[in-house]
Amino acid sequence: MVNFDLNGAHISFEVPTTMTLLDMLRIELGVTSVKKGCEQGECGACTVLIDGYPMTSCIILAPQVEGRHVYTIDGLADDPLMKELREAFMENGAVQCGFCTPGMLLSAYALLRDNKRPSEEEVKTAIEGNICRCTGYVTIIESILDAAERIAPD
Amino acid sequence: MKPLTGFSLLRPPTLVGALEMMSTLEHAQPIAGGTDIIPTFRDLGSKPVHLIDLGLIEELNGIIEEDGKILIGPTTTHSQIIASKVIENFAPALHDASRWIGSVQIRNRGTIGGNLCNASPAADSVPPLLVHGAEAHICSLEEGHWIPLLELFKGPKMTVLEPNEILMGLRFPAIAGIGSSFQRIGRRKGFTLSVVNAAVYVERNGDELKEARIALGSVAPTPIRAPGVEDKVRGKKMSEELIDEASAACVEVASPIDDVRGTAEYRKDMTAVLVKRALHEAWRRAGGEL
Repeated sequence: MVNFDLNGAHISFEVPTTMTLLDMLRIELGVTSVKKGCEQGECGACTVLIDGYPMTSCIILAPQVEGRHVYTIDGLADDPLMKELREAFMENGAVQCGFCTPGMLLSAYALLRDNKRPSEEEVKTAIEGNICRCTGYVTIIESILDAAERIAPD
Repeated sequence: MKPLTGFSLLRPPTLVGALEMMSTLEHAQPIAGGTDIIPTFRDLGSKPVHLIDLGLIEELNGIIEEDGKILIGPTTTHSQIIASKVIENFAPALHDASRWIGSVQIRNRGTIGGNLCNASPAADSVPPLLVHGAEAHICSLEEGHWIPLLELFKGPKMTVLEPNEILMGLRFPAIAGIGSSFQRIGRRKGFTLSVVNAAVYVERNGDELKEARIALGSVAPTPIRAPGVEDKVRGKKMSEELIDEASAACVEVASPIDDVRGTAEYRKDMTAVLVKRALHEAWRRAGGEL
């Protein structure tokens, strides 16, 4: 049995110890915004926030989130910072196939929460663990910088 | 994709509990962040193990400065190390190296103890710890002892840890005014393994190189020190020529192999480049000028 908070709601769930957090979220709890890509912790499509920090849910076992707070983009739908990011992504055309987008948004969210005016280098570092294979990195980086400017104008 | 198989997960809340499991269970394997281990369970056929998750044991996590030493718990994440002012001040090379490990997601999850016990010859946290004179605390249920960190490594992916032992902690001297630097070359800038890495530690007395330590990674079956080169430059007056001499001599210490990340020849050449950069930077950080 694992007890944790998912997007602000308490969850108690019977889960085998070999199940990953990713599989529990997608298959058992129906949270399909968390994408399954490489399953090696490299592509970042399965990124979630655990106690606020981005981690790849494909290499975390479900029982290891006992007592932790897990957030996906679903739980941040009305969050002002996430709204700015989402709008910036749409306006800049930073979404092609969309597979990397939830993970990108969560990595960008954690960055801007802790660093209101990141440099371009800091943005690149923040998303180095999120692979986009449509190679839309330029527009993604611009979107994150745009969102930063909107939330904290000079 | 295939589900994970071949293991069970145990989460002892205490250190004694973990050590008991290590000594009583067959095929017990400690796990911290799991960033190296978990992906290996995608391959069917790995022999079943009991994963002993150290993540709940609070005393294994954190960074303390005490009695002139820095103590680091094995489950301290790379992100915790990057955020630590103590590490930034007293072990700048380790601070440098931690920023290069994995990605944000991996640094938030992966731990220094895991990076060491995984025993990759390319592990970025090792050369900095070696030049800072780190020791490793090895413990079983019966006894504990400290060993020089260099002795932890037996070969690629092999440590001297017995099946009932865990790495309990790390320590190295906290000395003000020293300089250290970590340098690496990867196939790209972000989220990649080092093709070669190097760390340098210096103590300065005016323009004299009072103490010099050099460690190299990914150029031998385990990370190595370069004691012969260190002896040659220790006590000398610092100069560009001395840096060139030390960097060139390190090439002879390296015995790399060709692999998918780079050739032995390239690794040897880059060893000199990285040692040179690290010596410059460490000397600068120690307040020295050239």
